[in-house]
Amino acid sequence: MSWKLVTTGAALAVAATALAGCAGGATSSDGRTVLTVSIDPGLDKGAVAAFTSRVKQFETANPGIDVRTEEFKWDATTFTAKLAGGTLPDVFTLPFTDGRGLIQRRQVADISGLVRALPYFSAFSPQIAKAGEAEDGGMWAVPISAYGQALHYNRSLFTQAGLNPDNPPSTWDEVRADARQIAQRTGQAGYAEMTTDNTGGWILTTLDYAFGGRTEQLAGDQAKSTVDNQQLVDALGTLHTMRWDDNSMGSNFLYDWNGINQDFAAGRIGMYVSGGANYGSLRAQNAIKPADYGVTTLPLVGKNAGVLGGGTLAAVSASAADQVKAAAVKWIDFYYMRKQTDQAAAVADAKTTADSGEVVGAPELPVFDKAQYDRRMGWISQYVNVPVKQMAPYTDKMFDQPLVPEPTKSTQQVYALLDTVVQKVLTDRDADINALLADAQRQAQTLVDRG
Amino acid sequence: MTVTADKPAVTTHTRPPVRRRRRSPATWVRGGGLGALVFLLPMLVVFTAFSWYPIVESVVMSFQQTNLITAPVFVGLDNFRAVLTDPLLWTAVRNTAWFALLALLFGFPVPLVAAVLMSEVRRWRGLYSALAYLPVVIPPVVAVLLWKFCYDAGPNGVFNTMLRAVGLGPLPWLQDSSSAMVSLVVEATWAAAGGTIIIYLAALTSVSPDLYEAAEIDGASVWGKIWHVTLPQLRGVLLITFILQIIGTAQVFLEPFLFTGGGPAHATTTILLLIYDYAFAGTLGGDYGSATALSVLLALVLAVFSALYFRLTRGWGTS
Amino acid sequence: MNRGLLSSYDWRRPVVRRTARTLHAVLLGLLFLAGLGPVLWLAKSAITPTQDTLRDPLALFPHGIDLSTLATAWTRVQIDHYFLNTVLLAAGSWLVQIVVATTAGFVLSVLRPRYRHVVSAVVLATMFVPSIVLLVPMYLTMVHLSLLNTFWAVWLPSGASAFNVLVVQRFFANLPGEVFEAARVDGAGAGRLFWSLVLPMSRPVIGVVSVFAVIASWKDFLWPMLVLPDPSAQPLSVRLPALQPFVELDVFLAALAISTVIPVVLFLVFQRLFLRNDALSGAVKG
Repeated sequence: MSWKLVTTGAALAVAATALAGCAGGATSSDGRTVLTVSIDPGLDKGAVAAFTSRVKQFETANPGIDVRTEEFKWDATTFTAKLAGGTLPDVFTLPFTDGRGLIQRRQVADISGLVRALPYFSAFSPQIAKAGEAEDGGMWAVPISAYGQALHYNRSLFTQAGLNPDNPPSTWDEVRADARQIAQRTGQAGYAEMTTDNTGGWILTTLDYAFGGRTEQLAGDQAKSTVDNQQLVDALGTLHTMRWDDNSMGSNFLYDWNGINQDFAAGRIGMYVSGGANYGSLRAQNAIKPADYGVTTLPLVGKNAGVLGGGTLAAVSASAADQVKAAAVKWIDFYYMRKQTDQAAAVADAKTTADSGEVVGAPELPVFDKAQYDRRMGWISQYVNVPVKQMAPYTDKMFDQPLVPEPTKSTQQVYALLDTVVQKVLTDRDADINALLADAQRQAQTLVDRG
Repeated sequence: MTVTADKPAVTTHTRPPVRRRRRSPATWVRGGGLGALVFLLPMLVVFTAFSWYPIVESVVMSFQQTNLITAPVFVGLDNFRAVLTDPLLWTAVRNTAWFALLALLFGFPVPLVAAVLMSEVRRWRGLYSALAYLPVVIPPVVAVLLWKFCYDAGPNGVFNTMLRAVGLGPLPWLQDSSSAMVSLVVEATWAAAGGTIIIYLAALTSVSPDLYEAAEIDGASVWGKIWHVTLPQLRGVLLITFILQIIGTAQVFLEPFLFTGGGPAHATTTILLLIYDYAFAGTLGGDYGSATALSVLLALVLAVFSALYFRLTRGWGTS
Repeated sequence: MNRGLLSSYDWRRPVVRRTARTLHAVLLGLLFLAGLGPVLWLAKSAITPTQDTLRDPLALFPHGIDLSTLATAWTRVQIDHYFLNTVLLAAGSWLVQIVVATTAGFVLSVLRPRYRHVVSAVVLATMFVPSIVLLVPMYLTMVHLSLLNTFWAVWLPSGASAFNVLVVQRFFANLPGEVFEAARVDGAGAGRLFWSLVLPMSRPVIGVVSVFAVIASWKDFLWPMLVLPDPSAQPLSVRLPALQPFVELDVFLAALAISTVIPVVLFLVFQRLFLRNDALSGAVKG
């Protein structure tokens, strides 16, 4: 009877598909080691072509390795599910903040031995190297890029408002004054701030550092949350004034990282704080007009002030076999690191990137030291396609600013608490900043204690 | 299209009565038992895998800590304790109750009035129905994204422009703790009212005209008829839609998630959003124990509420 | 005579007639505004340039129409791809639901084994469990079976609908038992009963279940978002919010408009099916 065939067939189909899901093995059919590497999702055809050609170069140089690519975007929430389900690429990237937690929980592979063998291992800037280190000092994840926070501004809006785009604000009072002028003369938001998806806490911590405060104090292994420090009160006070007295912060206070980038690129925001290398995203994802873009250093206040630093790590999936780990470190070396240390690689990478229309030369911080950075900039100077002069206010001074790492304990959860604080300050005129911070402090300490 | 309902519920045996056979596996198979089981297989497999087993597993997980990599650890009532002492829980409960209350306020009388009016429309009822139902047909995600844009709090936001045309000031809509939830409820009501109207309309058109004639003989006015005939006849439907609405709004997720992400400052964080945050938005592998614990608690509360509700209203419905 | 609340006498009274007519007119106006208004505004804004929509959202094409937004939405934003995903997800879910509901209803109402009451009760019980309770365990099941990013992760759970089973069961129970008895006496087994007798007679209930299944699938958001993290596998409902930060406003609104066209058109064409079935659901619930 036909129904029997139908049901049996369906059952077999389900079983087959389920089994097929458990695909993958460390060796391909021709005996080569299979290495799955990550590629950013949503890239346009030019960027994909550039990546593919780099892959081919690697395979030519390493005939025993078969590289497969898989779209991967770091997502803290689905990472564990991907790991458990075995759908992580062998090599993937993640931000500094999340790296520490993963390493602690052994959710990435221990590649410290292989990394130590790399020729430039001892040249990593110690501050930056810490982001990828385990407790014993071994490097489990390789820092491949670093950045510091910066103040981005829209040159066209500055001009429209009667401000000089080559003379961006250098103190918070100037930021406030310029924001007011932009809001009054152009009707757009003079200054905007991220407030959701933990970015609120991220930027608030940035402002705290810029005002000279710290949200966490470490004493050996113990941590004390100091979220209610006076500098953060001052920073929130500045935001409150801009929002309620000057009305210079526009009318959207629920921005996340993507949303604020989009509105900035569309010319609806005069100034905002974000990662220094943001220009690449603004160009690739939000189609910003290069002539509109300007960036300057974050105004620092007081002697303890510093710039919050972040960066990206490259790690290897904890479930990778040994031969895959070795291949993975080779790939990390080839694709991510060589362009920093080896002239030929740097030039090749810059050329393919520029040829595909992508950004070369966005202001990053050196993973090694300034000397190496300057050397690298020299190598690729002819391919740099960013408006270098417009970035001068930042690049001229970025090395002079002290770099401060993000807080280490329960970072994202404390950021989530601070999201609520900044949202409240920006949406409720009568928000009691001291009370809000005291409450956040209490909750943060509980989180930090729980580890 | 169903066949007449006076079919007896039990199939009468047309075979002459037989000796009671011993029930053996062979008898069972020969009697068609195997065929029945095979046909039941799709339902059994799907329900076991995606309904019964997950329910049981949810309860089990609420007593465990799971991180997907290592084996789950039994932690007794810790998850429940953690959930009940989370200050956000009470915010979420309050917000959910507020949403449910507002949704009832907007979403109950309005469709009723509209349905009563529509039941008296002679010729163009189809047009009325279609227009009322149109918002229901728009995919919810599209509706929310559309309204989100219209809720722009700037002076040129769509709704603020409309308000300006009648001389009212710009409203903060989603950007203010007090108006955010109201904004959500307005959109949710708009999207759901059409379905409720159609249900009420069906119930209204099934009210027997004799009842109205009897009331008229007794001298009832139009209002009197509504009060003494229409509403009582609708009692059954009203009771059902009420409890369904409560259960539905207790689980609101899409609107707070897409409109505000729970903000500003947790003004629109609902219980479902909290469960989602526990399970999927916490960093690096969620707190599945807390998420399932809260789900179980919510299910229990709704079950108790429904049981009480049905007991209390047992005598109220129409026969 | 077909009358409702108002009798023919009521209608003849001028007060009643005027009040009723006024109220009806007001209601119609409100329905136009609330029902058709948003759809028309979306259609208009989909082909209006971003700046016009931002500066003067209610104006009618101050600087002319920009039809290219529709093309851009279709090609660059690849609405066609996500639309196809939505259709495939709906089709698979529909099939799973039909198979599960018809076979289960068939067994419970036609074959009637001795254990049918137990099965019915257990199925009914699940209707009272809020679906959120299932979310985490089902998600973890998908993780462990490596079904994340496959359509099966959406198709299979959709079949676990107690509502479908009950509706079909009730419908089958109302079918004429004599026909089945006669077929049985003639030696028909369960398969023949199902395929040649029950299914052909169940077109109406299959229609009802289908409408609900397709609508539910089209609206589904949270579950597809969780089990289809890979953007290329996502349906429109999941992709549209994720896309918003990366496309200009006019293209985004065009994408929203395109996503609305099919459901609205289907509704207008099959109105009676939609509207009658909501009444049916009301009757079933009552």
